[in-house]
Amino acid sequence: MIRFSTVSKRYPGGHEALRGVTFDVASGEMVAITGHSGAGKSTLLKLAAGLERASGGSVVVNGQNLGALGDTALAVLRRRIGFVFQDHKLLFDRSAFDNVALPLRIAGFARDEAARRVRAALDKVGLLPREKTNPVALSGGEQQRLCIARAIVNRPSILIADEPTGNLDADYARAILDLFVSFHQVGVTVLLSTHDEAALERLACRRVALASGALAAA
Amino acid sequence: MTVWLRLHALALADAAGRLARQPFASGFSILVLAMALALPVLAAVALRSAGAVASRVDTDPHVNVFLALDATDEEAKRVGQALRSQPSVSSVRFVPRAQAFDELRTTTHLAELLASLDHNPLPDAYTVRVATSDPAALAALRDTWSRLPKVDRVVADGEWAARLAGWIGFGRTVTLLGGGFLALAIAFMVAHLIRLQVATRRDEVEVSRLVGATNWDVRRPFLYFGLLEGALAGLLAVGFVQALALWTQGQMQVLAPVYGVELQAFSVALPEAGVIVASAALLGWIGARIAVGLELKGLAGRR
Repeated sequence: MIRFSTVSKRYPGGHEALRGVTFDVASGEMVAITGHSGAGKSTLLKLAAGLERASGGSVVVNGQNLGALGDTALAVLRRRIGFVFQDHKLLFDRSAFDNVALPLRIAGFARDEAARRVRAALDKVGLLPREKTNPVALSGGEQQRLCIARAIVNRPSILIADEPTGNLDADYARAILDLFVSFHQVGVTVLLSTHDEAALERLACRRVALASGALAAA
Repeated sequence: MTVWLRLHALALADAAGRLARQPFASGFSILVLAMALALPVLAAVALRSAGAVASRVDTDPHVNVFLALDATDEEAKRVGQALRSQPSVSSVRFVPRAQAFDELRTTTHLAELLASLDHNPLPDAYTVRVATSDPAALAALRDTWSRLPKVDRVVADGEWAARLAGWIGFGRTVTLLGGGFLALAIAFMVAHLIRLQVATRRDEVEVSRLVGATNWDVRRPFLYFGLLEGALAGLLAVGFVQALALWTQGQMQVLAPVYGVELQAFSVALPEAGVIVASAALLGWIGARIAVGLELKGLAGRR
């Protein structure tokens, strides 16, 4: 489903975030990327989602080599991958509903179909009663769940989450992790990063450890 | 196809909504654009009216060919034949000196003065209508005819019309150049407005890209915004010109008969209004395209 082959990423200015990373994620698998902050977890996830391009090696998702895709094709591919951002990336000029509807709007869904899917996604994360609320008025955990709703509204086969439990207290974190487990159980390929040992225990999935941009143990 | 249409409808609705939500800001920018548009349109329309005056007077310029006082009837006839032999001559009218004298006596207040003369001071003359209005051709004819035997003087009436036509040509060039500059100015004005729009919607643009928007998806609402703004400015500009036309109609009605022409409608016809609105919309689109292209490149560079 996702295949990294000797992937490296060097940012302008010379910082080398990833070096020769090779590993696979099978279809329907759940994998946790672990490592200290600065180990390259976020970069790895962004490369898998086509949000950034690798400097070397190849990233193949669903049989498509991302490096060979043009900007437009890459954008269209992103619609089939749900991404939960560490900083949520919510828009505060519109309601929770409209935030979740954004990917569908971009993909050109009809209004009724979009509304149905948005409500289903909001229901899944328990935010349906707050669909009209502006994200500013939501708690950190609720914002995280809203971001998850936006990530799953397109019904992606791959769900990627960058530190989904980062700033949450234990109860919230558990609820979020259970959500990912439930997506995994219905066949979604889940790739997430965390440095939280409690989270890893709860997920009970394969771990890929990164240290200073290279694989530590697979 | 339906998806494509829906995307465009959404972008158009988004742009219209943005215009409507900031009525003052949108109104002022559209007003400025409309005034910039109205100037060249007004100049073009005014020139057309002047051109109509010139061309109506100009279509058949008169050339008066005065014969020498001592020309005989036979010689006068020969001159007449020479005049008629020119292909560009549409009609030749002979005015005998006696008739000219009579006309002068009856149509002017010079009867007493004329009565005191012991002979008719007027020569025989031909009034020639020429089919060409080209000043060079007229000059050539005048040259040829003044060399005919017993021709005293050739006066080409309507030289003022040629001069007017010259000025109108100059005016057209100036209008075209000025119009070009103003068109550029309009595109840049829209570009600036769109830049501000993109700046205020930076987050939306960024998030949209993260969740799968292509460059076209991002550009679309801005392009429609430019298109709408341009089209509305075009409509308003046509409105300005029409209002001015109504206001000056009275003056035109006084002025037109003086030059022996019918009143030329000093206004914009419907197809012309369509062209103006479409061009303005296109300019708005171009401005938006430039601005969004530059802004997106800037955003992409930050990633």
